[in-house]
Amino acid sequence: MSDAIDDMAEAAEAPAAAAAPTKWPLRTPQYSPLHWAGRISVIALPLAWIFLMVLDKFGIFGGSWTTSGLGLVADGFIIAIAVMGVNLITGFTGQLSIGHAAFFALGAYVGLVMTEGRVTTPFFGDDNIWSPGWTIPVAALLCFLVGCAVGLPALRLKGIYLALTTLVFVEATRSILKYEKFEGVTGGASGIKGNKYTPPEWASALGLEGRGDLNEWMIYLSLGLLLLIMLLVAGLMRSRIGRSMVATRDNELAAEVMGVNLSVVKSVVFGLSGAITGVGGALFGLKLGLVDGDVPIFGLLGAVTFLVAMVVGGAAQVWGPFVGALFYVFVNERARSVGEAPADFKRDFTIVLVIAVAAIVILVSRYLSKNMDRIKGNVSNEGYRAVGIVVSAIVGIFVLQSVLLGIGDGRKLDGLGGVVFGVLLILFARFAPFGAVGTFRLQRNKLVQVVPKPPVAPTAAPVAGDPVD
Amino acid sequence: MSLFIQRMFDGLAEGSIYALLALALVVIFRSTGQLNFAQGEIGTLCAFFASTLTLSGVPVWLSILLVMVIGFAIAALVERVVVRPIEDRNPGAVIVALIGVFLAVNQLSAMFWGVDARALPSLFPTDADSFFRFPGTDAAIRYERVGIIGVLIVMLILLYLLFNKTKIGLAMRAVANNQESSNLVGIRVGNILILGWGLAGAIGALAAVMLAPSAALSGTLMLGPFLLASVAAVLGGLDSPVGAVVGGLLIGLLKAFLIGYVDFLSDMLFPVILVVLLGVLLLRPAGLFGTEKVVRV
Repeated sequence: MSDAIDDMAEAAEAPAAAAAPTKWPLRTPQYSPLHWAGRISVIALPLAWIFLMVLDKFGIFGGSWTTSGLGLVADGFIIAIAVMGVNLITGFTGQLSIGHAAFFALGAYVGLVMTEGRVTTPFFGDDNIWSPGWTIPVAALLCFLVGCAVGLPALRLKGIYLALTTLVFVEATRSILKYEKFEGVTGGASGIKGNKYTPPEWASALGLEGRGDLNEWMIYLSLGLLLLIMLLVAGLMRSRIGRSMVATRDNELAAEVMGVNLSVVKSVVFGLSGAITGVGGALFGLKLGLVDGDVPIFGLLGAVTFLVAMVVGGAAQVWGPFVGALFYVFVNERARSVGEAPADFKRDFTIVLVIAVAAIVILVSRYLSKNMDRIKGNVSNEGYRAVGIVVSAIVGIFVLQSVLLGIGDGRKLDGLGGVVFGVLLILFARFAPFGAVGTFRLQRNKLVQVVPKPPVAPTAAPVAGDPVD
Repeated sequence: MSLFIQRMFDGLAEGSIYALLALALVVIFRSTGQLNFAQGEIGTLCAFFASTLTLSGVPVWLSILLVMVIGFAIAALVERVVVRPIEDRNPGAVIVALIGVFLAVNQLSAMFWGVDARALPSLFPTDADSFFRFPGTDAAIRYERVGIIGVLIVMLILLYLLFNKTKIGLAMRAVANNQESSNLVGIRVGNILILGWGLAGAIGALAAVMLAPSAALSGTLMLGPFLLASVAAVLGGLDSPVGAVVGGLLIGLLKAFLIGYVDFLSDMLFPVILVVLLGVLLLRPAGLFGTEKVVRV
């Protein structure tokens, strides 16, 4: 939660500020231009970072515009939608779920089952064949109901117990979707082969069908839905339910005492988060045009992907899933290509870029904290150490790659890309534990501090009958 | 009856592997409060080391001991280099780092040993006629199954002795109970944590080399077993070694009997496990043998 981090940083710095006025952080009144610049930069900087990666994919730094590249962008947005769902229950409400791959699978199946007319629906369309767009709300509704049901046991379970139960839920859903007795609906083990989502007429009229390239239409559609969901979530977090969610996460007992109905909040939010992930799943199925139980992202891989993307982007940040999902998709793709050919600075530019931006952020933050730590008398050279680690990581990757390719007689190195990505995740968790957006926010708070306007002195006398200490 | 006994031994042997892996998870959870996602993959890597060692002529028993040392070293390294620095900053990010370790270790084995499955010789005789008849029935029990169950029992005895009869074990229990107080009475908490993770790494390596001979040794060797072992650990209670063993054996038996006797559910292992897990956890949220955390308000 952004406010939580803000508060934390302010609480940490308040005593120091009182002791001796320093240059940093700059103090500014609320909603001043500086305050707005700070607020925007927190989102704009990670987005610019992501944008560089996308550009890199598309020819600016040596890649090329391809259908698969467009598909990757669409995948990024679709996964971002799914991660929004995970973020709602895990980031904002504090209920660790690695089970959302199940909702993703359910959503994808709903999309294809209905567009293929495999179930009889009472009042919609001829011969039960739905138009793809209308299956998305159905997927959301079904996942909402399943999510509410799954949320009920979550009332009793906490932490890792809940996480592993949801993980079993993923595998259980997969088994049920593959079960031979349901072959008529789900296609059993072989799954459903259907049609991809062709742009509807109104989209063509608006010029959104994208040069006949299917992936381009999926980009517009999923980006539109993603932004809509982000708007809804941002609104939700300002509402009574949103505040209850944060209160539940921070301290269940206190929340309950304050009048939060834990059972309702937990199960409804589980349903909502399932619905959002289900929307992502439906888009995924419609983009692919086929589903079966063995699609990796419907299982453990999806569970891991969503969780990692959420934490990498920033848990409990509205913009976190956007950044995290694109990071996951693009960096993963680029890291995997590291193992496929001899070292090539241009081709592996993304990896260098990611590490370089990270290094700059770390360096700046260390410099600033060094400035501020004057009061505490703790001037560390951790910044240099961090840069050392980062530089040696870059050099190490390339040296390792060259050496190994030398040993292997130019043989393709299957695992190296995965190793690189794994190490990047570890470094990320080490140096940006609050995710991209959350860490940027923390750094911003070191630069700019909002000084609230002094409260207006109460004019009215206390109401009679008020409790007096 | 003989079929029942045979299936029971199959289940117990498979359950022993889950139990070993679950034990490793519990040892780490007790000391650090984390679920080690990379546990299975460290085991797989060790099994690959074992296959290389045995191919170069090292006796099987010696290579198993050697890879347990390797497993100890890898897990200890993970604790010191990856987990501890991150845990100080944000415990929530540890899970991502462990997933990173999971990926990196998994792909390391693909990098050095390729993606083709390979064979690992077993510690126990595996010929077609290396079995005995269970007394009173004609159930054929393979020596390998008994051997794996035996390994679990030996491991349990050793762990019992370590935790209850040695000073280091006492220190480990103290750290699991209360890190701050242990620190105050002079226990080097950092070293004990490294020791705990290393111990878990060694147990995980043992589980992998026990499993690998009967399954194909490839990068995905431990994925399924890890999932079932973590379910077993949760079922028994994440902070209870006894629970891990009971949970592991229960899951093994459940799997064997489900596939053996309930035909229409043979593909539905996970839905059944979900029902069992929910049934147990709704009655006892901390697992069968776990202690429920009492939080002072």
